[in-house]
Amino acid sequence: MGNPFSIAMSIQQPPDNGAGHFKSPAVSSDPVTSNTNTNTKDGAQPKKEPPPEKPSDIRRRSYIILSFWLIVVLLGLPIWWKTTTIYRADLPLQEMLDWSDGKACRPVFPLRISIQANALQEQEAQNLLRLTQHALDDLNDFSGHHLRLQLAPPSAPEQHDRESVLTIRLVPGDATTAKFDPHEPILDITYPSNAIPSPTSSSSPLATYVASQLRSTFAEEQATISYLLSTNSIPSDHRPQGLSSDISDSLSKRTTRSLKYAPTYHLTFSLFTSGPLPSSWDIDGAIGEYMKPVLDVLSPIHNFTIDTQVQLYATPGVQNQVLNKEDLSSFINAAEWPLSPSIGGAPTVNFIVFVGDQTIAAPAQSAGEDGEPGPSSHSWMMPQWGTVYLLPLPNDTSHLSAEALKQPLLTFTSHLLSLTGTPQSGSLPLRLSTLSRIRSADLLLRASSTLGSLARLALALPSISIPPRVADGVSKTMHHLRLACETLGGPEGLAHARIAEAEAERAFFEKSMVGQLYFPDEHKIAVYLPLLGPVAVPLVMGLLNELKTWLKRRKEAGKVGREKKKE
Amino acid sequence: MRQFLSFIWLSLLSFLVIPSSASSAVDYHEQLNLRPLPLSALLASFNFRSNTTLSEFEKGNFRFFPRSLGQILQHAGTRELHLRFSLGRWDSETWGARPWDGAREGGTGVELWAWLETETDEEADRKWLTLTNALSGLFCASLNFIDGTRTTRPVMSFQPEGDHSTDNNMHLLYGVLPHEVVCTENLTPFLKLLPCKGKAGIATLLDGHKLFDASWQSMAIDIRPICPESGECVLQIEQTIDMVLDIDRSKRPRGNPIPRSPPGDQLPCDTSKPYNSHDTCFPVDHTPQEWTLSQIFGKTVKGTCPLADPAIPPVCLQVPHSRSVYVSKDVYEKKNSDDASRCFHISPDTELEMMLPRPDDGASSTTTTDLATPETPLLYAERSFTGHGQERGGVQTILRNPSPDTEVEFIYMESLPWFMRIFLHTMETRIAGQPHANKSLVQQVYYRPALDRARGTQLEVRMRVPPASTVFLTYDFEKSILRYTEYPPDANRGFDVAAAVITILDPPPKDGRFAAYTLRTTSLLCSLPTPDFSMPYNVIIFTSTAIALAFGGLFNIVVRRFVAADEAQATGLGVVLARLKSRLVSAVKG
Repeated sequence: MGNPFSIAMSIQQPPDNGAGHFKSPAVSSDPVTSNTNTNTKDGAQPKKEPPPEKPSDIRRRSYIILSFWLIVVLLGLPIWWKTTTIYRADLPLQEMLDWSDGKACRPVFPLRISIQANALQEQEAQNLLRLTQHALDDLNDFSGHHLRLQLAPPSAPEQHDRESVLTIRLVPGDATTAKFDPHEPILDITYPSNAIPSPTSSSSPLATYVASQLRSTFAEEQATISYLLSTNSIPSDHRPQGLSSDISDSLSKRTTRSLKYAPTYHLTFSLFTSGPLPSSWDIDGAIGEYMKPVLDVLSPIHNFTIDTQVQLYATPGVQNQVLNKEDLSSFINAAEWPLSPSIGGAPTVNFIVFVGDQTIAAPAQSAGEDGEPGPSSHSWMMPQWGTVYLLPLPNDTSHLSAEALKQPLLTFTSHLLSLTGTPQSGSLPLRLSTLSRIRSADLLLRASSTLGSLARLALALPSISIPPRVADGVSKTMHHLRLACETLGGPEGLAHARIAEAEAERAFFEKSMVGQLYFPDEHKIAVYLPLLGPVAVPLVMGLLNELKTWLKRRKEAGKVGREKKKE
Repeated sequence: MRQFLSFIWLSLLSFLVIPSSASSAVDYHEQLNLRPLPLSALLASFNFRSNTTLSEFEKGNFRFFPRSLGQILQHAGTRELHLRFSLGRWDSETWGARPWDGAREGGTGVELWAWLETETDEEADRKWLTLTNALSGLFCASLNFIDGTRTTRPVMSFQPEGDHSTDNNMHLLYGVLPHEVVCTENLTPFLKLLPCKGKAGIATLLDGHKLFDASWQSMAIDIRPICPESGECVLQIEQTIDMVLDIDRSKRPRGNPIPRSPPGDQLPCDTSKPYNSHDTCFPVDHTPQEWTLSQIFGKTVKGTCPLADPAIPPVCLQVPHSRSVYVSKDVYEKKNSDDASRCFHISPDTELEMMLPRPDDGASSTTTTDLATPETPLLYAERSFTGHGQERGGVQTILRNPSPDTEVEFIYMESLPWFMRIFLHTMETRIAGQPHANKSLVQQVYYRPALDRARGTQLEVRMRVPPASTVFLTYDFEKSILRYTEYPPDANRGFDVAAAVITILDPPPKDGRFAAYTLRTTSLLCSLPTPDFSMPYNVIIFTSTAIALAFGGLFNIVVRRFVAADEAQATGLGVVLARLKSRLVSAVKG
């Protein structure tokens, strides 16, 4: 360090010393030596020079410094970085984003509809089928939802087969009529004998009639599915056009109202009274009579567990005699009423009978529906939560009989259907199969969008840790999504979509991802600075010295070369 | 006298118990028992009991039985459950035997034991986890911290209270949280479980301010199946709150709670002292004084719960018949035949206010006539730490049998945290006054050693104490050092050690309901060696400095050139000074 500096000093010194001779006695000895020895600053004796270093030593030192630096840079820093870095499992980010953008799967619902036309000739039936299919294709504008007709073999028994969604039974009759079977997804169509199209005709009123029947039957399902697709980030070319705004409004109301899909729902029936009476009710009998039939019908898709409770001295959150629309949301006294959700995985649907003579102020739209305050003004539905029914009773009633509970339970039943998201039109079996298809599309889209959120989260927060469990969950999700996409519309599709959705949620809400979030890289540096700082100082100084001497040597070598040249 | 007292207890208990077991037609009972204790304390025992038939319970139809709890029981396969929230210490020297024979109380903090019906032990552990987590949410308590290290499976201590079919595969698990502070947020969910919600009946008296101001309080929930000989099995939930209130303290107005001594002329003096005169007074600590319900509890009883059995009087008071008690109108007083208690029937809509006036001045010196004398407990127990230092310690339990003629046999159970490693060979029992240990006192020992960070020590000792003697049970232990992250935020406070549970086997026949008399010692506070919590950062800095020093030296030795001292170039401070000087000089010249 001192070497080049002292050379510079000594070069500068002679004129200085001469000028400052009398003013600074402290350096008075300098002029004596400065003329003879340019390499010393002070000291009376001539400075001894160390022997010149061997070139091999100089080279060795360079190697040593170089190897230290190589070890530190190539080995030390990577190891330090690697061992202190946050674990991030590899996620197939692009693939996940593809799923959420709808590029990976195009939801297609091929619906098979079989036609039983045992009264017709094979040839005639085929012709009718071709024409009807043609008419259907003309009507349909949504490629994701496709109705495919097929002819049931005439030998088949006259009932619905499981493969197809709907069976159309063509029976000769007097006029063209259509009627749904109440228990099986069967559409009975009668036709006058002259309606059979001739093999050569290109259109037939019967075919058009069947097609329009089918179209109206599946219109709601189509609208719902296309609404679901449109609310998710599916590219617009897959989307059907022409969803009118009022349809989509009513659909959005319905989807926000319905509960998240679950295989099991827990129904809790509660009787709340503001005083001590009534303290018992025949809820068991009432459920068995008024609600059980619907629950049985829903049982292929959902299981239901039921419990009931009686709660006395319950004060509602709103004490007004007439409840306005704004009061309804705060009527439930969540702090005091024991309406805790059931434990276990099943979501709880609450049905509350509140004994009290409070009334609901008739809102404009419900008055428009039925003109007078009918049964609907006793109850209201809370989206994704349940129903409250206000039941006025004489003060001394101590027991509620099953008959008194009839109206509340019928209300609950109809609300349960809309809480589970069942479509509103069509025959019940058909509505249920529609429900399963809507549910699988919904779950599929939900899982995809969760995957997309996870991918975006991983991209947006580089310091978040991603444990291997998340990667595992993601790969499982994608596996099941792929399977679900292939078997969409069937029961396996629903099962796979369910697993995919559960896995995606689990991966997204992984607990250990959050913990490391608040340990940024700056903290890491701060903790290791006491080590890195003192180690780095000798290393850097050594390197700088080495560079300086190397530069000096080059300069000197150049000078020597030039002098040699001069000579 | 003793026989007489036990007769009082007997009649009282039978009065409480028999109607419920005899008829399950009425499914809800509630009763408040008030018993003045010596030194102006008052024991208030609230008892609420409701039944549901097992078939209704399994169908999920809840009427009096709380649904929130019922669901948890069904989900966790629990057949019998006991949950305790306790605070304070029962002073058995003054207050005598414990209420309910100690069966409705717990050690300080939260205690939970349950019988789960499962096939295997692992499944029982899983269900236990579900149960503790669910109860934790329901009661706003940290019950979810009852993990493997705080769970034991008692072998001898607890016996099921309910009727269980013998072929069931039942697992008893016991967990305790001595550190838990019981407070108002635990009382609110407790009241929500009652059919009348604390809005009618005796539950209206329950108020967090008064309850948690008590000298001792214990909230208990007991659920057990009961199968009468004829009829259907029922599931019974019994909720009990026992509290000992200091009357002086409770009577202080809420706005002015600081105790002040009365003026000199109103000071009650102990006239029995020889130096007592008109200007010398030795004040009496606790004079019997009048009190009313609204003074003690801050409110009056609002009617009765209409669901409760009207045949059972809602409020009972245990004072001798010689004392007069004033009650508000429409309240019907019924004196029991035992001369020591009376009960009050209330019509559904009246408020009950009760006043117990000061006993007559003539009787005030002798407390025996104005209070029912407390019953002597079967055993006194105290537990404390011995030893010093941070490495080892000892535990000493003093067990005193007050009875002059009956030997007491009992099971002493400790569930210790894993960081107290006990040395079982040091466990010894010694009768006070004898120089040597007496090995014959211990009859049976069940010991399950601790595993570090996995489970705690479980020690159950069946032993006996001879009549009228005191036994010391001692053992030593070692304190282990915890890991850095295992210390709680308030590590220097110490670690709570749960109360020891003492179950007296075959207590003298009283034909009450309880098969055993239990008592608990106080919990202990064990101080472990606690590190300085800035230690990791100090360690990082220190090792970093050491490594950097070693590295710098090594690096310099390898890289530097060594020359003789007089050949070296000047470096360091000298060079800098010289340079400064020359700069200065040149500046002055320039």
